[in-house]
Amino acid sequence: MVSAFAGTASIAAQPPVAQTGPWDQPAGALAEQIAAVVGLGQAHLTVRNLSTVRSDELSAISRLLEQDLKAHGVTTSGAEGASAVRVTLSEDARQRLWVAEIVEGTETRVVMVALPPGNTRTGAAASGLTLRKQTVLTTKNPVLAAMESGNVLVAVEPDAIAVFGRGPEGLKPQTLMNIGQKRALARDPRGVIMPAGGGQGFEVWLPGVECTSSLAPDQTTTDWKLHCHESDDPWPIAWPNAAGTAMTMNAATQGNVQARSLSAFYNSARNYFTGVVSPGVGVDLPPFYSAAVIPRPASGVALLISGIDGKVQLAENGALKQVTGARDWGSDFAELHSGCGAGTQIVASGSGEASSDSLRAYEVPSLEAVPASAPLAMEGTVAALWSAPDGMSVLAVVRNTRDEYEVDRVTALCN
Amino acid sequence: MRWTVLRRFAISVMLAALVLPSMARTRPHYGGTIRVEMEGDPWQRPDSLARRLVFDGLTALDANGIARPALAIEQKSESDDHRWQFRLRAGVHFQDGTPLTSVNVVSSLMAACPANCPWTMIRAVGSSVVFTSDSPMPNLPQLLASDDYRIVLAGAGSGTSIGTGAFQFAGFSNGVLTLAANDTCWQGRPFLDAVEIHVHRSVRDQWLDLGVGRADLVEVPAEQLRQAHDQRLTVATAPAVTLLALQIPDLGFLSNANLRAAIALAIDRSALSNVIFQKQGEVTASLLPQSLAGYSFLFATDRDVNKARELRGGLTTPAILIGAEGSGAMQLAAQRIALNLHEAGINAQAAGSSQHADLVIRRIPIEGGDAAAALESAMRRAGLTAPVTEQTLAALYQAERQFLERRTLIPLLFLPRAWAAGGRVRDLRLGPDGLPDLAVASLEDSK
Repeated sequence: MVSAFAGTASIAAQPPVAQTGPWDQPAGALAEQIAAVVGLGQAHLTVRNLSTVRSDELSAISRLLEQDLKAHGVTTSGAEGASAVRVTLSEDARQRLWVAEIVEGTETRVVMVALPPGNTRTGAAASGLTLRKQTVLTTKNPVLAAMESGNVLVAVEPDAIAVFGRGPEGLKPQTLMNIGQKRALARDPRGVIMPAGGGQGFEVWLPGVECTSSLAPDQTTTDWKLHCHESDDPWPIAWPNAAGTAMTMNAATQGNVQARSLSAFYNSARNYFTGVVSPGVGVDLPPFYSAAVIPRPASGVALLISGIDGKVQLAENGALKQVTGARDWGSDFAELHSGCGAGTQIVASGSGEASSDSLRAYEVPSLEAVPASAPLAMEGTVAALWSAPDGMSVLAVVRNTRDEYEVDRVTALCN
Repeated sequence: MRWTVLRRFAISVMLAALVLPSMARTRPHYGGTIRVEMEGDPWQRPDSLARRLVFDGLTALDANGIARPALAIEQKSESDDHRWQFRLRAGVHFQDGTPLTSVNVVSSLMAACPANCPWTMIRAVGSSVVFTSDSPMPNLPQLLASDDYRIVLAGAGSGTSIGTGAFQFAGFSNGVLTLAANDTCWQGRPFLDAVEIHVHRSVRDQWLDLGVGRADLVEVPAEQLRQAHDQRLTVATAPAVTLLALQIPDLGFLSNANLRAAIALAIDRSALSNVIFQKQGEVTASLLPQSLAGYSFLFATDRDVNKARELRGGLTTPAILIGAEGSGAMQLAAQRIALNLHEAGINAQAAGSSQHADLVIRRIPIEGGDAAAALESAMRRAGLTAPVTEQTLAALYQAERQFLERRTLIPLLFLPRAWAAGGRVRDLRLGPDGLPDLAVASLEDSK
């Protein structure tokens, strides 16, 4: 006959307690349950480990159990006639589980205590600069693009624009504005958001739709009004920013730095830009996923693109040149004005197929991408990557292993 | 011949691995037709690949096996889980353009589950579907993610093959089922243009087709996993997702509890794992793997022939026929268990099929990352209709032990499920039960 009994409280995950070791509380909870079965008397205790608890911690856990059992009136010994208590340190994919089998004659009873899983930490090596991230939003809804503006964060979803206001307790939903998307989307739709001209609103581009939203100076952030219309106009892929860096190039003067934005036509049924950009850059571009305008010593600026064929190329002085050293890049990258090193870096997503992606900063001094930072683990798949309006940070949308979407702000620290 | 073909394939995979890194990995490309081959029926469990691509459920399991909103965007539990309300996602259409409504969801679920359902009553209320039950239904969102409860448009002209999924039925000819991309799918058009599933194909032929480039995705049975790795096939594996269990009906001479207990004790699980399944199985006497419940080790897996003889006593029975779902290793497992029972003095022989067998070796998918729901699902597949209302691991352990002590289902092994992919397949992910999720897969050479 085997039976199990354990109250709801005893099976609940045990929170860590300050000023004590990590095993004190679960050991105490398990000892209490064992004592409730054994009663006052003696027990022969054995402990085995089927979990990832380090073997050198086993003796400490055994001692804790002995002490806690003693406190409940159960003395551990090898005496005949004592109840046999076999404790197994087990675990499943979500939690640790400590199980005690208490054998008294022909009867075995089972009690157990669940506790949180072990911590895993990742470290990052340093080089020219260190990327760091701060999660600013976690949501169950897909996020295609996001923008921070003052005390609000605007998240672009496939069929709505969500505005979150920042308060003492973090971001809270303020407004959800329906886009009225009528077109069927692709499996991985994309979007762009940028500040509106006057800085009091924003503009959004989605497959087949363009939206504008504005806010008068005397209005609160809950008074947003959204106007959307069907549109196949090109999407902005680079625009002047507060960092003062020119973000475009003029086709007619090739290399002449001008503070104008650059737009590209997006294939709304797929997930890439067609290669047609406005104004032109003096050379035909292949279809591409991402683009960034980077400063160049000789030509002023150049346009960096990641083609749908996996090639990273640089459009400069009317020619298209392949960039080496970008084999580890995924499809998404964005420009970051860190002020470190050359001042401007490209932050690129990793190209692995693993469930966890990474970001890494690169500089492109000639035709070779040179790593400028260690990879930054993103704990999910990077779904979108855009420069913040001020260029000083990059916003990454990450789909994590819980199928949630995180908006992470990525900044750089100079080493 | 076979070795040569596979070696050629292995070399081609290696070459691909050498060539591909010369450029960056990109977002998935749209387009192309993926060719899948399988032994089973893609519309039926446990191989219901087509069913999963064509139909959606009210809920779906995420990568961790936890239920998340699918056709239902919101769920609400009331009266201690005796009543659940699922609000439908707006704007979803079936593949023929029919709007998804609560009425056709109720029709579909009633057709899918005419009796012994997890619920007592189901009805449409506005844009919601309401489930009620005499017993609490704490696991309902997880259970509704099962293939059994996917929403099918009833009364459609072309039969029962219209859903809301990423692919739609396009035809079946010469053993090949063709599914085409659903451009208006509520989750977005899939990357692939089409999926071709060559059904009832032997594993040997599947591997040959993969080797010569006629297939992109083929099955790798657990017992051939080592061989696949030796041949450097690109293999995706989901560990411990299929429970191999011996079902013993509580009928006729098998209603003798001591005989059932003797059968359970006579089985040599280690031999099954080591010999038949080439050490790829995880020996178990529990319905849930250690990775899901953490207490699996509490169920003893040891064989005890003497105890089995003792329990059988002087009982004589007619020859017990042992069958198995599936072919190959499953039939060998039936033969092996018959031998084990002989050694314990029990008259048994392999039946060759499961149709007229007394005992049947079954393959039960272990679904999801929630122990209580997975236990209820497994027990329902074993014929038990009572809900699992316990939610703590200690209470689950108790419920499972009580069920297993009947000895009507003897857990034997947890087996992995694996697939070998050709060089052009990208973003292949296996679901929590080991079936590939082709709605997010793509092909390398598509543009």
